[in-house]
Amino acid sequence: MKWTDNLENFPYPFKGSTYRYSNNSIPMKLPLSVEVTLDYKEEMKLKRNLLTHHPERCYQSLPHTFTGQWEIVELVMEHLVAQYPEKFSLETNESQWIFHNKILGEKHEFTFGVEKSLPCEPLAFISRHVQEDLILMMQRDGDLYLDAGQLCFPANWSLAFNLGMKFKSIHHPIPGFKEEGLDDRILQFLMRIEAGNPWERKNWSLMAGDRLDTSLETFDQWGLLRKQVTKENAGELVHIRVEVQKLFRLPRSNAILFTIHTHLLSLEKLASNPEWLKQFYEILSELPPHITEYKGIALYKEGVLDYLEARLGSGKVL
Amino acid sequence: MSGEAVFVSGKRKYVFCGDQQGIKILSSLIERVKEEELLLEIFLIEGGTEWSQLSKFLKDQKMGTYLYVVLPNEYIQKAEEVAEATGFSDEEAQYIGYGEKVTRVYCCRCHGIKEMKNAEEETLCEHCGLELSVSDHYSVYHNAVLGYVAKL
Repeated sequence: MKWTDNLENFPYPFKGSTYRYSNNSIPMKLPLSVEVTLDYKEEMKLKRNLLTHHPERCYQSLPHTFTGQWEIVELVMEHLVAQYPEKFSLETNESQWIFHNKILGEKHEFTFGVEKSLPCEPLAFISRHVQEDLILMMQRDGDLYLDAGQLCFPANWSLAFNLGMKFKSIHHPIPGFKEEGLDDRILQFLMRIEAGNPWERKNWSLMAGDRLDTSLETFDQWGLLRKQVTKENAGELVHIRVEVQKLFRLPRSNAILFTIHTHLLSLEKLASNPEWLKQFYEILSELPPHITEYKGIALYKEGVLDYLEARLGSGKVL
Repeated sequence: MSGEAVFVSGKRKYVFCGDQQGIKILSSLIERVKEEELLLEIFLIEGGTEWSQLSKFLKDQKMGTYLYVVLPNEYIQKAEEVAEATGFSDEEAQYIGYGEKVTRVYCCRCHGIKEMKNAEEETLCEHCGLELSVSDHYSVYHNAVLGYVAKL
């Protein structure tokens, strides 16, 4: 959804005046895997609709992931209840659990650890209650494998294609990632994440349009807007897309839970903060071609820079 | 999964699997192992050989066994899956395909797979008709490379 909250709360991703790929993970202050924002209801409606109509695109899992899937159910429910007790509750009587989503007015009774007691797989079930996309990476033979995931709001990648893939292969398309040795360093970092010490990072890109569901499968539709960006419409049409990503070690399966919360902010709103405007203009002007290309900005970078220059020149806040 | 077999020293035992042509390709390596008087075993895959036989043969191997498999390109991926399932990791095996190579292209829009005998940069998806740009992003799981939207 487009950012409707206070701009102060927006997960603004930039520091300094240049941007390069890096392992920008930081230890999480408040160890929460998920967050409920003002757009909760609207995004849940969108997500559930996508899961119903495009299951293959939005949900994939391999059979050996059930232990990890149940750990995710447990972790996410605990976080929801602890952080938002007025919105969620959980009653447990040994393995008999009752989860209450008060925002959506739903009550679910199930037997923890018993797949048949849920209407769908555990990961699919819990993903229907959170705005985040949820990815499960299994760790074995000194590597991480994307073995299950629910992905409704991808930044132009395909969960179905990436299923079962090793970490470095997943990131193979990123120019410079391997050459700089980043893929190996980040993999080693991820494999050392310990239970109880979660990490988070922000990732960003630009997009023409304001869709959350920018899957690779539908790129031939939403990608077309890239051709329509002009200096005049860039403020409304182009959005900065920020993913708040969180990484948790799951102790029983030794898997990693990777949650992605996606936020969109129009350039117009971004530019209403003079510091952000100046900093983002500097970063975008300096961005090397291999990054603009991979982030899908190349086609309309000029229009965006022209727009930002005009805003800088006018001195107007709105 | 392609290229030439490379000798890896210091293993307890060497196992060579392949069809007749594959074993021929491995012959110099087999000679070397024999010369060095190392433990070795050959598993010949013939017309009637079932995957389950290969699987059983590999399961019976002990720790410290190093595996070479050489087969026509169209079967090498399946052999790798069978060997992995029996517990051979990347560090314990080499898989070498030979002959005509078929590229499988995974359509980013419909997930259909098209098999291409000649390497082309662009192709049409046989299932949904999308023009695909063939990438080098490879999935072992699908045994296919990703085809991206060629033109917006």
